[in-house]
Amino acid sequence: MAGPALTHAPAGRLADALEAQRERLLPCVHCGFCLPACPTYNRLGDENDSPRGRLHLMQAVVDGRLEASSDAFQTHIDRCLGCRACEPVCPSGVEYGTLLELARDVAADARPPGLLTRLLLGVMARPTMRRLFFLGGRLLRGSGLAALGASVLPASGPLGNARLGLAMLAATRDGRAQVRQVAGPPATDPVEGAVPSPAAAPSARRRVGVLEGCVQDGLFGRINEATVRTLRANGFDVVRVPRQDCCGALHAHGGDLEGARRLARRNVEAFERAGIDLVVVNAAGCGAVMKEYGTLFEAEPAMAERAGAFSGRVRDVNELLAEAGPRAGASVACSVAYDHPCHLQHAQGLAEPPLRVLGAVPGVDVRIVAGADECCGGAGIYGMTHPELGGRIGRDKVASVRAAAADAACTPNPGCMMQIGAGLRLEGVPGPVFHPVELLDMSYERAGYYGTARAEGGA
Amino acid sequence: MSRPLPGPTVRGLEAIVGPEHVITHRDRLLAYESDGLTAYRVAPRAVVLPATTEEVSKVVELLHGARIEIVPRGAGTGLSGGALPTEDGVVVGTARMNRVLSIDPVDRLATIQPGVVNARLTEATRPHGLYYAPDPSSQSTCTLGGNVAENSGGPHCLKYGVTSRYVTGLTVVLTGGRVVRLGGAGRLAADGLDLVGLFVGSEGCFGIATEIEVRLLPLPAGVRTLLGMFDTMEAAGHAVTAIIGSGLMPAAVEIIDKATIDAVEASVFAAGYPKGVGAALVIEFDGTEAGLDEDADRAEACCFEAGATEVRRATSEEERLALWRGRKKAFGAMGRIAPDLLVQDATVPRTRLPEVLARIAEIAVEYDLTIANVFHAGDGNLHPNILFDRDDADQLERVERASREIMKLCVSVGGTITGEHGVGVDKRGYMDLVHNEVELDMLRRVRSVFDPDGLWNPDKVIPPVASGSPAEAAAEAVSA
Repeated sequence: MAGPALTHAPAGRLADALEAQRERLLPCVHCGFCLPACPTYNRLGDENDSPRGRLHLMQAVVDGRLEASSDAFQTHIDRCLGCRACEPVCPSGVEYGTLLELARDVAADARPPGLLTRLLLGVMARPTMRRLFFLGGRLLRGSGLAALGASVLPASGPLGNARLGLAMLAATRDGRAQVRQVAGPPATDPVEGAVPSPAAAPSARRRVGVLEGCVQDGLFGRINEATVRTLRANGFDVVRVPRQDCCGALHAHGGDLEGARRLARRNVEAFERAGIDLVVVNAAGCGAVMKEYGTLFEAEPAMAERAGAFSGRVRDVNELLAEAGPRAGASVACSVAYDHPCHLQHAQGLAEPPLRVLGAVPGVDVRIVAGADECCGGAGIYGMTHPELGGRIGRDKVASVRAAAADAACTPNPGCMMQIGAGLRLEGVPGPVFHPVELLDMSYERAGYYGTARAEGGA
Repeated sequence: MSRPLPGPTVRGLEAIVGPEHVITHRDRLLAYESDGLTAYRVAPRAVVLPATTEEVSKVVELLHGARIEIVPRGAGTGLSGGALPTEDGVVVGTARMNRVLSIDPVDRLATIQPGVVNARLTEATRPHGLYYAPDPSSQSTCTLGGNVAENSGGPHCLKYGVTSRYVTGLTVVLTGGRVVRLGGAGRLAADGLDLVGLFVGSEGCFGIATEIEVRLLPLPAGVRTLLGMFDTMEAAGHAVTAIIGSGLMPAAVEIIDKATIDAVEASVFAAGYPKGVGAALVIEFDGTEAGLDEDADRAEACCFEAGATEVRRATSEEERLALWRGRKKAFGAMGRIAPDLLVQDATVPRTRLPEVLARIAEIAVEYDLTIANVFHAGDGNLHPNILFDRDDADQLERVERASREIMKLCVSVGGTITGEHGVGVDKRGYMDLVHNEVELDMLRRVRSVFDPDGLWNPDKVIPPVASGSPAEAAAEAVSA
């Protein structure tokens, strides 16, 4: 059966593509070290739902033993969260994330993905539609309809997804007022330990541009603003980069590599034009894919070089702030349950930097949730495409967050913020969820680093 | 190609464990065609994933009732093909049986399900100041059920002994689904033959352990870890002999050769091993603080006397873990060097290490193969890693011949064909190197007590009766 399968276009493409990826696929020696790191394997116990099993399926397609359109390939490649927790534990250094994107692309060619996925990818790729989509989202959120829908719609049945979607939307609301209440009024005297460290010397000032992103721009504008302010307070020269676009992570993960490349190209061009030193990203998922733009264009050497250079300039905002210190602000006394985003910890190898950012906020009691290195089940729209499994993974995470008994949850990725926030809301305990820079921003505001013009609570 | 299971059997299995935990489509069986030894590939007829002792019992009853073979499987990390499926068989996996059932810190015992990952047991008991001693190199992923089946060892078994020393009781599902409780910590007195001891290391040929009671140890108060560097493997081997000969009792002594060091350092687990040296020796002492530094000093002196170029001491827990991480991930890191890997496993008397290593190097040249060595030198447990590409049939054949040559070499100096990986399917052909027909006949008889119909993990461990042999005549006489 080896011959005929290879004549099918999709299998042939995967075979070609994976043949070109020999270095990435072959190091898997089947040792199985990845199994216990995998959230789907841990819950299902099926080796087809483990990284080793999925790599085996990919290899079987390359070998012509399995059709890319088969249920086995489609189901198990689709069921992966893409959390990449398997990468840091792989002794052979198999680049699972890259291989998964490729496999998804081939799977989507063999059998188009679901309507929901296609709609979402379509909207995110088009700036005008994206703006309308998020405008609608903000209206639903602002009017309270999102929160209402999340509380009255039935958990199961056809409206279950709408309920989850609305809960995720409601979870994007600004939680700063709640924390201000907990933390009390700003101290009038400087808090001990909050002595501002000097900002970087002007000669060392680096010119940085911030990725505004799609979801960030649409629903978390306050995080983008906080990113700019906290970077400036740490001596960075932040410039606006026009004509940038969505990062393409959703497309790369969703089986649309061509779409991801289109968006990536726009970003590379926009940031090149802006002549910046570094590209700052405040969403872990976006940062992970942008640090791999070079790989995305491997088939086009000229573009690969430009994209590789671009990737070399990408920094997560926590990474950059941690590198700069960051300077300490004034006290914001509250406790936060911190969760590591997979695409920061596993894909970018950044576990410490967000904790250093939080460490610059005096009064914050950081409680790392149990199992913080496991995926929250957010993974794009996994909760909607895999309601049962995604729901189980999400509930486990929410249980850990609740067990930390903190005033707020905190994680530096919009998808995780929405997933955890929605999970808390659906369990009847809607609490605020923050990005670390939001807390740092509040702390700086209280410390008076932004001058006196900005009155607290003005946002 | 494996025959599909009959419809009623599938429905029966689905009724027991739930349809989502029965895998029957051939595309979804591919992931189960190998364990950690990919040189062998056989897809089973189905995979069943039960969650409780009762479910395992019912599954076994149903399959054995239909005279269908069963191959037990844990995490599928074994290196002797012990979990390799059979064409006519069904794999019963323990992946969903992953709960720690109880921890008794006073009596220092834990009871776990077989799918619990080895390292997770220690994680669970550490808050009580206790740990589970046997530490196979795959401890971050291998399961205790598999450890029981293989009687697994690990680097620290030099001082602490292998799995059988720690298993105090077992709940096992036997032929036809009978559930039996063997041993138990309260019954340690010799009240008959040691059935727990018999079951540990039976490689899935007797039944499936569904609950495992193990002894825990208090965490050692102090640890000293040294890294000795040598120009040649031979010098490192002499250092091992000197250390053990001096009366020291290290917790572990591990040798890593140049090819392995290069692979590990190229992996994400780069452990700071020096590049360009001929061999490195990891030596560890643990126990109460008093005397540890003196022991480490003496071992260091042994290394220098044997010609060490440098000896480092881990100065922090972080450094210590990095040294071990590199050693424990060596197998996976080999993927950096070649697409396929056969990890051999054999033991030799410690004093014969230098000559055996020299001869293995010659065998590598004779068969034109790359052989990387990582092993538990303290107890003479060798792991020559033979690198190959399974698409190269000629090379594959040379791998098999070189393997047999190495086995014969180890046996000829007074060693044996496996130190800790088990016999499985890979070492079955070497059993005649270490056992005569009388012994093999005894092994067959013991096996037939548990498995009269040959339905548990068939074609593993014990070689078939050679045709025309006295044993065959005897077997025929018995069955007649």
